[in-house]
Amino acid sequence: MSKSWTKKDGPQGDICLGTRIRLARNLAKVPFPATANREQAKKVLKTAKELVESLNQLAPVTFYELAEVDELERQVLMEKHLISPEHTKKTSTKGLILSENEDISIMVNEEDHFRIQVLMPGLQLQAAWELADRVDDLIESQVEYAFDPDIGYLTACPTNVGTGMRGSLMLHLPGLAKINQLENVLRSVSQFGLAVRGLYGEGSESYGCIYQISNQVSLGDSEADMLEHLARVTSQIITSERQARQYLQEHSPAECEDQVYRAYGLLTHARIISTQEAMDLLSTVMLGIDLGMIRDLDRGLVKQLMVEIRAAHLQKMMGQSLPAQERDRLRASLIRDRLSR
Amino acid sequence: MLCEKCQKEAASVHVVKIINGQKTEAHLCQNCARELGEFGLSVDLPNLFASLFDYTPFSGKLAGPKQCPTCRSTMEDFRQLNQFGCSDCYETFREEIEPLLRRLHGSSHHEGKVPAQGYAALSAERQVRMLRDRLQQAINMENYEEAARIRDQIRALERQAHGEGK
Repeated sequence: MSKSWTKKDGPQGDICLGTRIRLARNLAKVPFPATANREQAKKVLKTAKELVESLNQLAPVTFYELAEVDELERQVLMEKHLISPEHTKKTSTKGLILSENEDISIMVNEEDHFRIQVLMPGLQLQAAWELADRVDDLIESQVEYAFDPDIGYLTACPTNVGTGMRGSLMLHLPGLAKINQLENVLRSVSQFGLAVRGLYGEGSESYGCIYQISNQVSLGDSEADMLEHLARVTSQIITSERQARQYLQEHSPAECEDQVYRAYGLLTHARIISTQEAMDLLSTVMLGIDLGMIRDLDRGLVKQLMVEIRAAHLQKMMGQSLPAQERDRLRASLIRDRLSR
Repeated sequence: MLCEKCQKEAASVHVVKIINGQKTEAHLCQNCARELGEFGLSVDLPNLFASLFDYTPFSGKLAGPKQCPTCRSTMEDFRQLNQFGCSDCYETFREEIEPLLRRLHGSSHHEGKVPAQGYAALSAERQVRMLRDRLQQAINMENYEEAARIRDQIRALERQAHGEGK
């Protein structure tokens, strides 16, 4: 199942669920994946495979040719945030290098030749960057990167040139949602040049009050400065969320507790439940745990459930594809089972 | 079908004219069609990059689009894909890309990490800036031997820059 970053709680883990640093890198002289022909793409795969030996110095990693990974497993990887949705499709020349504890994942031939990703629990931008930096140095010692002294690292899409870095934080913001301050806070974030989006759900919806904040600009500042800016704005959001939770506890503890226990009641007794409903209820229960209203429920368990209830995870558990209705029943039964222990 | 005019590119623009009952047909590639003014270059899908790009004045040369020597992409390919073909495109289309980067990122100069291989090509000023950062770090960590070495490197670079009549 999911390993490091969803199981453990990191710094500020009650609000910041996880940190991701992604570096986009390309080989010099080789066409980018969208333009490369099959032979060129295969060569990039081969180059990636040969990196495993040196990467093993850092952490035990495995190389996968995605065409040989079955569809369901690819979906599971995506649900764990280890590969992008794009990377699950048209897999004939796509690859993945994954560390054993799933904190390092390198997509090969996605939009760029290499997309180095480091995932860590909680708020750990600096540590995640340092690890990504080391992975990058190791790869760079073996290949020639596409780099321009003026513009920086060259990428398929000009939105990623320069540092090629995107730093993201996954934040759980049920407090702000419940006091109806979420929109205000998120709007001010975008005024700081950062991107916000609901992590789960379609379009403007966000199941489970989980949001992703990331930098938009990758050129013109050092990585350290970009991450410092991201960290500062995130800290402010976290502070606002804590204040919102405190406000709830002081001004409407009874209503809040009622909502928490209704959510708990539904989760422990429903027979059919959709992903959206389950995520929203789990979010409320997690808030209840954080506010000390539910004491005998493990927080890590709830966090893990949020990943395990997703479509591909469920189907993998049963070893087969399932239609939506059956998944909804299976989801409910999994949740009842886990929460009753 | 090849373009009737240049006989080189594939004909993708088919012009049918019926004037006073007389019908004429022409089959042209996009470049020749543009040159002859038969059809404006149609942007198939409205996309962000195309609109950003349209801001910058084209160099106005109608002598055929610039092509990247490594991957043979053109700026038109970029408009359609929203991506460049290879890293050499950035050199080929540097003129067009710079304003685009400024619009996207507010800057067109990289100030972040440099791969070891790329260090030599950096401007002397950038090298000095990076060395100064490292000097400060060495001082903070009380690594004075290292700091002295870096200080000497900075001096050498600055002497070189001044010596070249900067």
